[in-house]
Amino acid sequence: MRALVPAERYTGASVRRVEDERLLTGRGTYVADVRLPGMLHAAFCRSPLPHARIVAVHTESARLAPGVVAVFDGAQMAQMASPVASLIESSPSGGKVSFGILAVDKARLVGDPVALVVAESRALAEDACELIQVDYEELAPVVTVEQALDPNLPAIFEELGGNRLFGPETKVFGNVDGAFARADRVVRASIHQHRHQNVPMEGRAILASFDPSSGQLLVRASTQGVNTTRRMLAEQLRMPLDRLRVVAEDVGGSFGLKFGASREEVACCAASRALGRPVRWIEDRWENLTVSGQAREESFEVEAAVTAGGLILALRVQMVIDSGAYPGFAPLVVDTVREMMPGPYRLEALAFTSSGVVTNKASYVAYRGPWAAETFVRERMVDLVAQELGISAMEVRLRNLATRDEAPLRMVTGPSLAGITARDSLLRAAEMVDLASLQEHQRQLREEGRYLGVGFATYIEPAPGPRQEGGEENTERVRVELDREGSLLVHTAQMPHGQGHRTTLAQVAADEFGMRLGQVRVMVGDTQRTPEGFGTGGSRFAAMAGGAALHGARRLRGKVLEAAAQILDLAPAELDISHGELVGPGVPGGRLPLAELVRRIELAARSGQLPPGTDADLTATEDFDGGQSGWSGGTHCCVVEVDPDTGLVRILRYLVVEDCGDLINPAVVDGQIRGGVAQGVGAVLLERSAYDPQGQYLSATLMDYLLPTSLDIPHIEIEHLIPVRLDPDVNFRGVGEGGMIAAPPTICNAIADAISPFGAKVLEQHLPPARIVELIGAISA
Amino acid sequence: MLEPEVGQGALLSIRLQVNGEEREGEVEGRTTLADFLRDQLGLTGTHLGCEHGVCGACTVLLDSLPTRSCLVLAASADGCRVETVEGLARDGRLSRLQQAMWDSHSFQCGFCTPGFLIQAAALLAENPTPTEAEVRHALSGNLCRCTGYESIVRGVLAAAEGRELAGEGSK
Amino acid sequence: MLSWLLKLPPFAYRAPESLEEGLELLAAGDGEARVLAGGQSLIPMLALRLARPSLLVDLRRVPGLAEVKEDGAGLRIGALTTELVAERDPLVRARSPLLLEALDFIGHPAIRSRGTVVGSLCHADPAAELPAAALVLGAELTARSLGRGSRTIPARDFFLGPFTTALEFDEVVTEVRVPAAPPAEGTCFLEVSRRPGDFAMVGVAAAVTREGDRVVDLRLALTGVGDRPRLLTLDELGLEGRASSEGLFSEAGRSVGARLRPPEDLHASATYRRHLSTVLTERALRTAFGRADIRGGAAGA
Ligand SMILES: Cc1cc2nc3c(=O)[nH]c(=O)nc-3n(C[C@H](O)[C@H](O)[C@H](O)COP(=O)(O)OP(=O)(O)OC[C@H]3O[C@@H](n4cnc5c(N)ncnc54)[C@H](O)[C@@H]3O)c2cc1C
Ligand code: FES
Ligand code: FES
Repeated sequence: MRALVPAERYTGASVRRVEDERLLTGRGTYVADVRLPGMLHAAFCRSPLPHARIVAVHTESARLAPGVVAVFDGAQMAQMASPVASLIESSPSGGKVSFGILAVDKARLVGDPVALVVAESRALAEDACELIQVDYEELAPVVTVEQALDPNLPAIFEELGGNRLFGPETKVFGNVDGAFARADRVVRASIHQHRHQNVPMEGRAILASFDPSSGQLLVRASTQGVNTTRRMLAEQLRMPLDRLRVVAEDVGGSFGLKFGASREEVACCAASRALGRPVRWIEDRWENLTVSGQAREESFEVEAAVTAGGLILALRVQMVIDSGAYPGFAPLVVDTVREMMPGPYRLEALAFTSSGVVTNKASYVAYRGPWAAETFVRERMVDLVAQELGISAMEVRLRNLATRDEAPLRMVTGPSLAGITARDSLLRAAEMVDLASLQEHQRQLREEGRYLGVGFATYIEPAPGPRQEGGEENTERVRVELDREGSLLVHTAQMPHGQGHRTTLAQVAADEFGMRLGQVRVMVGDTQRTPEGFGTGGSRFAAMAGGAALHGARRLRGKVLEAAAQILDLAPAELDISHGELVGPGVPGGRLPLAELVRRIELAARSGQLPPGTDADLTATEDFDGGQSGWSGGTHCCVVEVDPDTGLVRILRYLVVEDCGDLINPAVVDGQIRGGVAQGVGAVLLERSAYDPQGQYLSATLMDYLLPTSLDIPHIEIEHLIPVRLDPDVNFRGVGEGGMIAAPPTICNAIADAISPFGAKVLEQHLPPARIVELIGAISA
Repeated sequence: MLEPEVGQGALLSIRLQVNGEEREGEVEGRTTLADFLRDQLGLTGTHLGCEHGVCGACTVLLDSLPTRSCLVLAASADGCRVETVEGLARDGRLSRLQQAMWDSHSFQCGFCTPGFLIQAAALLAENPTPTEAEVRHALSGNLCRCTGYESIVRGVLAAAEGRELAGEGSK
Repeated sequence: MLSWLLKLPPFAYRAPESLEEGLELLAAGDGEARVLAGGQSLIPMLALRLARPSLLVDLRRVPGLAEVKEDGAGLRIGALTTELVAERDPLVRARSPLLLEALDFIGHPAIRSRGTVVGSLCHADPAAELPAAALVLGAELTARSLGRGSRTIPARDFFLGPFTTALEFDEVVTEVRVPAAPPAEGTCFLEVSRRPGDFAMVGVAAAVTREGDRVVDLRLALTGVGDRPRLLTLDELGLEGRASSEGLFSEAGRSVGARLRPPEDLHASATYRRHLSTVLTERALRTAFGRADIRGGAAGA
């Protein structure tokens, strides 16, 4: 690779990514690119019905089909791997739900895996799938929340005694009743988020290869964290952890989807173990869209207690989440939505009621900023309050946003708001779009029958969030190691899948240790050497892993200098490491390559020449909780024009003013922001995971699940605020999720503003052209 | 040349030129060019993101024209010239486009990358100085879930202008 | 439900060196054989297992099918002319602005580089652009079979329903003829799709002939609104005798909207499609009318 130019400091510079040269030349290694000798291919026979009893599975002719090595049905798979147990504590029924790796006696959604075919090629495996006959007894599908709450419809899990998964459960913060009693007005709205989904360009993928002679299972996975994948596989396969090694190389995106091990992935591992041959499964796009998981389908009944002057005193919120068929992640989301509901606003009180249901749709999974509903609901509510009071949304925001110098600097739900810059970001965004003249322009255009709209949304994101007193310890571990070549190895449990961690973590460590970037290698994705930690997610990278790398490099540097000082008979303060060499006036020749130093330290340690107490182990392991740096956040602003005849929306301008602390690599940060905003644009204008009333999935191809293209996403202007630095060393903050959190309310607010002359009220997130024309009243809903 | 009588599972012999080299293989009628390149020639740089023609990750040049390799039968490419992402760099040196994409931080996860590179290379071959609107139009059939496209568009424009972008050294 | 299996199902493949050989294969195929042109519609159908042919007859080696020619009657576009070649062809650019405008709405460069004009007509997707344009242009298709030789099918008689045409299983379309545009005709193709390049929710192909401010002829076909595009004229819209253009276009829009029973899918409700039909019809007619004027009689782009 091209030599990396040394620099004074890498941190803060848009250094080119070390991962790119491979990716740009077609030498990336995704799971589908790996072939092993004797490798077999998996395909699943899946349920065409959303809800049905499985009476019998006939696999005989599939077994005899050309190239087929084995076929496993649900009952056989149950012998090979444990069922998944899901415990929902707040469930009315105790919430214990368990289900097979393959569907055993019931299919619970379209695409539920009923049998696994393993064959010599994927095409042959698919041919054989078509030969499997399943006798189903159809059950009434449960497609909507209303149907889930209807006691006359069959329970998707008999053990739940119905389709309510948990709740309703209410938590109250502050004096809600008092605030509502004081209010001049109560603004009410029913707000809805639609179902949409991650759609990484690479679907799920696994290559399991069991070695019968050693009893070891080697798994190549497309995952956000190899440790979590290993732990979950070990549990389902009832295998000791040390028999399982999970390796991940390139991962083609995920956005929350690829955590742990899915049922299909467990099934492939079980099949490899049973057959003693490698088994690979590459999820195809139909499977990815239909069964990998979906997110965001949540509805809210909101009441806001407001004063005539636009102060929002308190909220009462009732949230219902549709968790889809197989419960997992939904209950966790609800907790974060509740906690984050006040956002950067000085809300006095909050009553939050939550409940969840199961339906015959794809299971709820994490999707970039999973709790984003709090921002959507709150920012939409702010605009609705403004509309109802007849004052500007800007004024309502400014009156209610917390400021750094005013107590109480704390959300009513608990977390400290120290260091937030939300208000600054709003003011700056308004300045950048020149709100006053924009609104004048809007007035003029309206007279010509053209409809411009401008929308804002302000948010904060725990990245990783402030230290919670008495909270659980939550740290990220990094192990730093100086190897014999004099390279610095940085081991992390973070698992990059587009974020460029191999570059950014190296930037931080290189600066702290005194290396050239090319002398630092970030090591990820192999349970044999990856340190503990669940993986990439929850905006843990920048502050937590970045901080751990910084502190680890600092500590190891101290050790190295200490040992060097002993060997050279100098004081550590006389030595320095720079550009990957030991330097100092007392160093013979002025500089010593680190490889040479390592050799001499090893030699000295072996021959007992180091004084007792000198630490010659050239590694350092550091756990870090992110320090005092807490929130990322900012304000997005969008200007749209709506064609009232066609309902088409054109984004004229999109800008982001944000604060994610100190930037490690500005180009990487901007890429995360733009990618997140693009997903938000998609959510509002294009993307919907749609089901028909019978529970059939309608968005199963990329002709129907509409991802935004280069013509749908505008130029996105970004400005970074100077952060408030609360930590002496580490003021990086996560930035992966904010774009997707703030974009949907921003765009919806802009559209709502554009069509407000028609008296339209926007209460939903998905606004395709047909819906906009309905809202305008040109056609009936 | 194709065998005269072929049944469903029968194999057809094909010969084509891939990245300048003569290659041959035996394929079923149903084998797509994408699967042939990946499975038989080991050219796994061409990715499959949908297998129904929408995402563009599998785009290759077929007789110089950008083509979805998931929508072409390998047998239909018999006798044709194919260029894949692996053929863009020559003698270990990145092409100007690749270099500009690297400098521009064009990509994140890299899965869409081969399709964009090929589509952009085809654009630049035909229109060496495209406008931003022309770049966005030409790339609009390629899906990227990570970047929001701006970095990709900038990379193509930078390649067109042949301008040196900030590398890691410049602050 | 579409199939979750995306590898193609098995079939036999032949690439005959002559049209006769191709016609023989089709005739012997008992309806189980299919013509393969650019594959940009057929292969996705195979991938989703919506089609199960036993044999594909790839026309790629058949000589003489890839040309665009002009004779006294108009343009002749051979069956292997791709959408890309057509849109770049100087004859098409000079003679058929409507076709050009319609082509530009189709998919993306990497689709148009293989998809053929004739393949799109034969595929007869009710949401496709070219069938509507062919109707308005009065195009004719030439079909050949082994036993029955050659016949000409006017576009008007060609589209029978969704993915259904007047072709017999053993016929190959060798070319489509697009008559020269009458003088004083202006045309326009407009559509609204979810994303640029997607199939239209509603598309309108329009041609207007004018004399000064009078509309003397008007032809329209819509895409995405029914089982197939249909040709609409002044007569059919009940607007014959309405010579002045004033008010005519909005009335035509309303009349089109009122007569449609468009389908509903996840991208657009029937009501929205009907509404769009009204809006786009009016816009397309107005533009076509304006173009006829500007270009002083010749079809305007
Ligand atoms: C992602 C994507 C987006 C697209 N977007 C659009 C769009 O917006 N608008 C649009 O109109 N189209 C669109 N298409 C379809 C494209 O235009 C196709 O190329 C075209 O419809 C079919 O042409 P083809 O040559 O590829 O035909 P093929 O796929 O080869 O064949 C299609 C059908 O026609 C038959 N056929 C083809 N040629 C002949 C012949 N000469 N004689 C008899 N039968 C024949 C075949 O047997 C088959 O049934 C899109 C396709 C894709 C993959
Ligand atoms: S894989 Fe070919 S277009 Fe998506
Ligand atoms: S970089 Fe990940 S899909 Fe484009």
